[in-house]
Amino acid sequence: MRKVALLMLAIMMVSSVTFAQGVQEEEVFPSKPIKLIVPWSAGGGTDAIARALAKNGEKHLGVPVVVENKPGGTGAVGLGETVKADPDGYTLAVIPVELSFLKESGIYPFDFSNFTKIMNLNTDPSALTVKSDAPWDTLEEFVEYARKNPGEIKIGHSGTGMLWHLAAATLALSTDTEYTYVPFNGAADAIASVLGGNIDAVTVSGAEVSSQVRAGEMKILAVFGERRMDIFPDIPTAREQGFDVVVNTFRGLGGPAGIPEDRVAILHEGFKKMLEEPDFVQVIENMGLGIDYRNTEDYNKLTENTAKTLAPVLESLLAVK
Amino acid sequence: MLGYLFDGFGFLFSSMAALALLAGVVLGIIIGVLPGLTATMGIALLIPLTYYVDPGIGLSLLIGLFAGGIYGGSVSAILLKTPGTPAAGATLLDGYPLAQSGHAGKAITIATISSAIGGLIGAIILSFLAPQIAKIAVKFGPPEYVLLGVYGLTMISYVSGGSLTRGLFAGCIGLLISTFGIDPITSVPRFTFGTLNLLTGFELLPILIGIFAMSQAIEGVRDVRTEVKAQVKLTKIGISLKEFVRILPHVVKSAFIGTFVGAIPGTGTDIAAFLSYGEAKRSSKHPEEFGKGSIEGVAAPEAGNNACVNGAMIPMFTLGIPGEAATAVILGGLMVLGLQPGPLLFTEKPEVIYTVFASTITSNLIMIVLGILGARFFAKVLSLPKSVIVAFIFIFSVLGAYSMRNSMFDVLVMAMAGLLGFAFSIIKYPIPPVLLGVILGPLVESNLGRTLLISDGNLTIFFKRPISIFFILIIVATIGQNLYKHYSKKQKNKTL
Repeated sequence: MRKVALLMLAIMMVSSVTFAQGVQEEEVFPSKPIKLIVPWSAGGGTDAIARALAKNGEKHLGVPVVVENKPGGTGAVGLGETVKADPDGYTLAVIPVELSFLKESGIYPFDFSNFTKIMNLNTDPSALTVKSDAPWDTLEEFVEYARKNPGEIKIGHSGTGMLWHLAAATLALSTDTEYTYVPFNGAADAIASVLGGNIDAVTVSGAEVSSQVRAGEMKILAVFGERRMDIFPDIPTAREQGFDVVVNTFRGLGGPAGIPEDRVAILHEGFKKMLEEPDFVQVIENMGLGIDYRNTEDYNKLTENTAKTLAPVLESLLAVK
Repeated sequence: MLGYLFDGFGFLFSSMAALALLAGVVLGIIIGVLPGLTATMGIALLIPLTYYVDPGIGLSLLIGLFAGGIYGGSVSAILLKTPGTPAAGATLLDGYPLAQSGHAGKAITIATISSAIGGLIGAIILSFLAPQIAKIAVKFGPPEYVLLGVYGLTMISYVSGGSLTRGLFAGCIGLLISTFGIDPITSVPRFTFGTLNLLTGFELLPILIGIFAMSQAIEGVRDVRTEVKAQVKLTKIGISLKEFVRILPHVVKSAFIGTFVGAIPGTGTDIAAFLSYGEAKRSSKHPEEFGKGSIEGVAAPEAGNNACVNGAMIPMFTLGIPGEAATAVILGGLMVLGLQPGPLLFTEKPEVIYTVFASTITSNLIMIVLGILGARFFAKVLSLPKSVIVAFIFIFSVLGAYSMRNSMFDVLVMAMAGLLGFAFSIIKYPIPPVLLGVILGPLVESNLGRTLLISDGNLTIFFKRPISIFFILIIVATIGQNLYKHYSKKQKNKTL
C-alpha cells in the first residue's frame, strides 16, 4: 500500500512539472545565444564577415552571436541545417547568392521560399579580368575578338553553375559570343591559372583580383556592377562601355521560414547596428569587400531580380548540356 | 636583402613576437597531436585574436602554429597510429611499427629533427628564392597537375607491401571513394543518395582517422583478452650519428620536394609527405625495411610536410594565392588585418615579410628543442595498458571526426572507414594505397577535365609542355624501374 502511495506521489510530482511548463511566462526575445551558421569553412570571406559582425552581437542584441561553420556541398549542408532549425529566431545563417538559382540546377533542394529573409549585408560585383599583357584593353576589344574567334577565349570561374560561371555566361548571352568555360576549385586557383597563361580571363569578384590588379600583373576590362568599385574608381563598368552586363554576388542574413515578424524586427534592428560598427566597417574595407545594407523588403527585391535576370542565362547553359 | 632579414630577426626578438611564436609552436603541437584539430582549424580559430595586436606579432603566432601543427600530427601518428593531421598519414607507415618495436622515443626524435631540418631548408628557400620559385609555380597548369597526380599514384607501388596487385586494387577503392560528390567539372551530383552531406563527397580526415585509428582500435578490442602483456618497452630516445647520416640525404631531398609541392597552389602537406616517402623508398639502400619501421620512412615524410609549410607561403606572399588550405586561412586573416598579400607586399611592407621569414626560421629551431624535450614524455603514453590506449583511440577517433566540421555524418564516415580498414587488415590488403587514391583522385580528375577543356579534347597537349614532358619521363622511369625489379626477382626465383 505504501508503495502505491509513493508511486502516486511520484506521478503527481512529475505531472506537476509538466503542467508548470504549460503556463510559461511570455519570453523576452532574445534571451539565449543566437547561432549564426556560416555554410563555408572557417577562414573564407563569408566567415570573416560573419565573425567580424558577431563580435558586437552582445552589445546590440543583449545576447552573444555564435558563429558556427557548417561547410559542405557548396553551402547546401549549412543551409539545409538552417532550413531544418526551429523558426524561433535563434538559428540564423549567412545566405549566399547561389540560393537564388541553385535549386534549378539540382544542387540545392531548397530556395528562398524556405527561408525568412532579414537583410542584405554585402554586395560584390564580378569583374572581367585578364593578364596585364593581354591584347585587349577594353570590353569592346575583348568582345570583338570573341566574335571573330568563337570559343577560343578561355574564361575561368570557381565552379560550374556557381555565380562567377553565370557572370561569364551572362556576358556571352548579352553579346552573342562564345567562350570556353573552365571551372576551378575556388577563385584563387582560377587567378593563378590566368597568371600562368593557361587560361585567358576570369569573371570572379573584383575584390578577389584586387591585389594582382594593383600590382600590375592583371587588368580589369570591365566591372559587372551597377557602379564602379570603390577601390578602383578609374575602371569603368560594363554598362558605361555599352554592354548591359550586371552580375553581383551578395551575402544576406536569414533564418528558416516562419520566424515571427516581431522577432525579425528585433534581429533586423540589432544586426543593422552591428553592421554600422566602425571596427566591422574597417574589417570589410581591409578585405576590399563592399558593405551593402538593404532592408528586408529591398533584400527581397534583390533576390527576386537576381533569380529573374539569371533564369535565361541558366537556360542557355542547360541547353548547351 | 640579408639586412632586411636581420631587421626581421631584430623585430622578432625585441618585441612580443618571439613569445607569440613560442606560444604558437606550443599550441600548434597540442592541436597537431589531437586528431581532428588540424593546423588549418587552429589558425582559423586564432585569427580573431590577431586583430588586436601588431600584424607582425599576429603573424608570428600563426606561423608558429602552422609549423607546430604539422609537426605535432606526427606524434600521435607514431604513438597511436592516429594521424593528428592528414599530413601525418605517411609518417605512421613506418613511425608506428618503429614505436611498437620499442623505439617510440627514437621515432619521435627522428620526426622532430627531420621536421625541423626540412622546415629550415624550406624557410631558407622561402626567404631567398620566393619570387623565382613563384614564377615556376604559376607555370604549373592543369596538364602538369594531372601528371603530378599520376606520378603520385605510382607511389602505390612503394606502399603496397608484398603484392602489387592488391595494392592496385586498394588504390582503385580509394579512387572510387574520391568520386563521391559533385563532379568537379560539370557540377552534377554523383553517388549522393539524396543526402546533402555527400554533395561534396567525403572529407579526407574522417577517412584517415577511421582507416588507421578506428580499425586499429577494433583490432585492439578483438585482441584485448588474448594479449596478456602488450606493453611496449621503451629504449633510449637519442639517435646515433650513423643513423643521422643515413637519414640526412632523404631529409634534404624531401625538403626540396616538399617546398615545391607547397609552392604550387592546390596541393598540400599530405601530397608532399607521400611523394617524399615514395622517393625515399625508391632511392633507399634498404627498401625492404620500409613499412616495418624504417627510420628513413619516418624522416622523409616529416621533412617533406614541414618544408611544404614554408613552400606554401611562397605563392601566398609573392602572388597573393594560397599554396594550400592553411595558407588560404592565413591569407584571409592577412586581408582582415589590412595587409594585401601579393606582389606589392614586398615593396610596400617589406618589414612584415621579413618578420615572417625570420619567424619561419626560428619556429623550426623552437620545434627541435620542444620536440626532443617532449619525446621522452610523449613516449610514456605507450607504457599505459593496451586496454586504456584502445579506449582513448576510440574517444579521439569520434571527437576528431566530429570536430572537423561539427558533423555527425563525418563520425559515421569515420566508423565505416574503420570497418573497411579492419576488413582490409583481415584479408591482408594494404591500406596506404586507398589513401593515395582518396588524396590524389580529385587532383587528377578535376585537372584532367580542365586540361581537356583547354586543349579542346586533344591529348597531345601533354607532350607540348616542358614541365609535363619532364613528368612523363619520371612516371615512365618509375614504372619501368618497378617492372624491372619485379621481373628480375621472378628470374632469380626461377634459377633458385
